[in-house]
Amino acid sequence: MKLRATRHQAPDEASALELFHLREWTDGLPVIIPTEARVESMLAGVELEPDIIVGQIGPGEATVEKIAINAVMAGCRPEHFPVVLAAVRAVGDPEFDIDNMQSTTHGMGPVIIVNGPAREVCGPIASGWGALGPGHRANASIGRALRLCLMNIGGARPGHGDMAALGQPGKFTCCLAEDEEGSPFPPLHTSFGYEAEQSAVTLVGVDAPHSVMMQTNDDDPEAHERILRVVAGAIAIPGANNTQIGKGPVIVALNPVHAGVLASAGLGRDDVLDELTRRAVTPSATMRGWATKRRIPDGGGDLPALRGPEDIVLIVAGGSGMYSAVFSGGLAGSTHPVHAPVEFDFSCELPGLPPV
Amino acid sequence: MRDGAIFARAGLPAVAIVTEAFVELAAFTAEAVGMPAIPRCVLPHPCSGTGDENLARVAREAAPGIIELIEGRRL
Repeated sequence: MKLRATRHQAPDEASALELFHLREWTDGLPVIIPTEARVESMLAGVELEPDIIVGQIGPGEATVEKIAINAVMAGCRPEHFPVVLAAVRAVGDPEFDIDNMQSTTHGMGPVIIVNGPAREVCGPIASGWGALGPGHRANASIGRALRLCLMNIGGARPGHGDMAALGQPGKFTCCLAEDEEGSPFPPLHTSFGYEAEQSAVTLVGVDAPHSVMMQTNDDDPEAHERILRVVAGAIAIPGANNTQIGKGPVIVALNPVHAGVLASAGLGRDDVLDELTRRAVTPSATMRGWATKRRIPDGGGDLPALRGPEDIVLIVAGGSGMYSAVFSGGLAGSTHPVHAPVEFDFSCELPGLPPV
Repeated sequence: MRDGAIFARAGLPAVAIVTEAFVELAAFTAEAVGMPAIPRCVLPHPCSGTGDENLARVAREAAPGIIELIEGRRL
């Protein structure tokens, strides 16, 4: 296998790591040194030539080899690599507007949502308790691999290529699976035309998750209404880009209990999207006291935080209970959710790898 | 579990009540507060939000076991 990357020499791994920090090739945390053998192992699970261009990230061409190098650095196992490849492919979709996302002063970052069998075969990628928190190797490594690609291929360095005023911790890594088994709704990727048994990633450029608390009660005939009101209210919070500008994709991550209450009230996926869109509004009089970047009509009325239900990416994830989450949108609405298939064939044993 | 430890330290009989999803956490917490043997009763998960009728049923079914634990008739 012919790899094109420049070879660097170091007397040992510790020295190599210092070189990586010195050259600003890391996200600030230690990385796995991408030796030739490790990169070749990463590539062994995909039937793609290393020089194939998967996508363009700013000034950089994201080849299979460069993505594999960053996946090694992030701590991925080769099983994770097809998801990383799919995520980079999705990022290259012009609809995602990665150049704007890389350079915005907003703290947004990409969230990777995984659906289909890849959740297990390329993972396991967690969808339940603490899926967005620490402790899940595949989630942490896959999200970090994409971030390292954005930095090392796309040049997103703080204060230079990445002008986020403050940033947010989700920019280190942000990847989770949808809890398809715990969801009463069809899996997210089927909304984009995939079959349920196919695997796909959905990428959304958003802010950090905002917790939404709602203790439901099976005796409460208004429980579904309360969930809709509170989630919609979290979409239309004063400081969100959605409120200030009136557009941008958001992620609504419902925990299985909240999703179940909505479904029991007869609401399907599309109904939930419609209801949230209708309710995520701010009265004009209130908006006048908040916003300076959107036109407020003289006649009053409510101002929407979303262009339409297509601005919401709805997933079911997290441990059961009373906490769901909303991720506010970013940019001035120029980014849209994108998706790409996850293609893998692990019928052959991957060579040179320590056992799990 | 922490409340159970506080009561136990005060010399009052205590049984901690946890749902199935929190059994491992309960063991960890009991260890962490230095009282790994705090008696505990495990309820189905979820309990909260499941309606008054279900909560009453769960309480009825759990109560005898809780009393046994308090009286020290069961570990």
